[in-house]
Amino acid sequence: MIILANGKMTKVAQRTDDTERLWVRVVDLPGATGWQMKPQGMCLGEMCVPLPDDRVEEWIADAEDWVWMCYSGFADMIGQKYVRDGDVWSLGSVPEVRRSGLEAAIAPDFELTERNGERLRLSDFRGRKVVLFTWASW
Amino acid sequence: MYESIGQDRFELISVAQDSGDPKAVGRWFDRASPTFRCVIDPTHQISSLFGWVNVPSAAWIDEDGTIVRSNEGTYPGESTVGFGLGKVRFGDDSFARATRDWIERGADSEYVWSSAELAGRLKPVDEDARRAEATFKLALHFEAVGDSERALKHFAAAQRLAPDNWLYHRQGWTHRGALYAGLKVLRRTSHLRKTTDKSFYDPTGLPGEKHRRFTEPEWLWTPAVRRIKQLLLREA
Repeated sequence: MIILANGKMTKVAQRTDDTERLWVRVVDLPGATGWQMKPQGMCLGEMCVPLPDDRVEEWIADAEDWVWMCYSGFADMIGQKYVRDGDVWSLGSVPEVRRSGLEAAIAPDFELTERNGERLRLSDFRGRKVVLFTWASW
Repeated sequence: MYESIGQDRFELISVAQDSGDPKAVGRWFDRASPTFRCVIDPTHQISSLFGWVNVPSAAWIDEDGTIVRSNEGTYPGESTVGFGLGKVRFGDDSFARATRDWIERGADSEYVWSSAELAGRLKPVDEDARRAEATFKLALHFEAVGDSERALKHFAAAQRLAPDNWLYHRQGWTHRGALYAGLKVLRRTSHLRKTTDKSFYDPTGLPGEKHRRFTEPEWLWTPAVRRIKQLLLREA
């Protein structure tokens, strides 16, 4: 199974007894989705979303020797859109991240590879003015 | 623009929104022999993060990492733009002049948006647009792995969900070739011109801004181009 999120493609194991929903092994969550399961709930960076008590049993399951999380259920709860085609799942942006970032007008951080092979992170340029410019060859 | 304003005074990051062959995109960069930072962003991450729906677009980000202005249609000067058909003159130097002013005067520049303007401009995207974004990324994935049929299906779905997003249209149409994409851009812009007040880009509102509307050059419609258009777009 392939998960597309945050500009990344991650291959992860699929739960074979329920392929209708997006089940992700808890161990794969951070790499594939950016979210991490913690005692206080699901966390993305500084932001944590508690899991509703009545959903815990439904969304966290033990199967095929691993602990799984029903990510599609969680995504529905937080309003994150996802689309699938076969075994490829594509996750949209997390509305709350976008909302809080835009409210403060904080430039969203990103990491991409420069033409010379170096990693470029926007936050590395704090203290300098940045003009970020997009274009396309088409 | 970068060299004339002064490279030591700011950082210019140029990001290609291109799902195509990185080597081909790289040649564009090399041709310009840039002194600034160049990255290729095949999954259109930057446009998604900043809510941009066309290229070129640009943001000014201050020393604290705060967005102080964000626009579409930010040409560095009058440019000749290819739409797979030929060259069309487009844009003006209003954005470059405003950028120079901001680099020099910072928060005192009249072109910096107030927090009220920022709040009005940097809007969260609605449900359909978020679904469209996920769908577009799915299309890019299938394009990258060579599954054209599924790529086209998802490009079309993303275009339907977010009809105002030019990136989804242009990148999706480019899957069928630059000429096809160019003709589709012409057809869509001329349709919009006739039926709505929408432009190819939202106005930047900067002084000296001109021709925001993309108009077809008269020389374009030679019999050969008409025939190609008929066949490619399956027009009567």
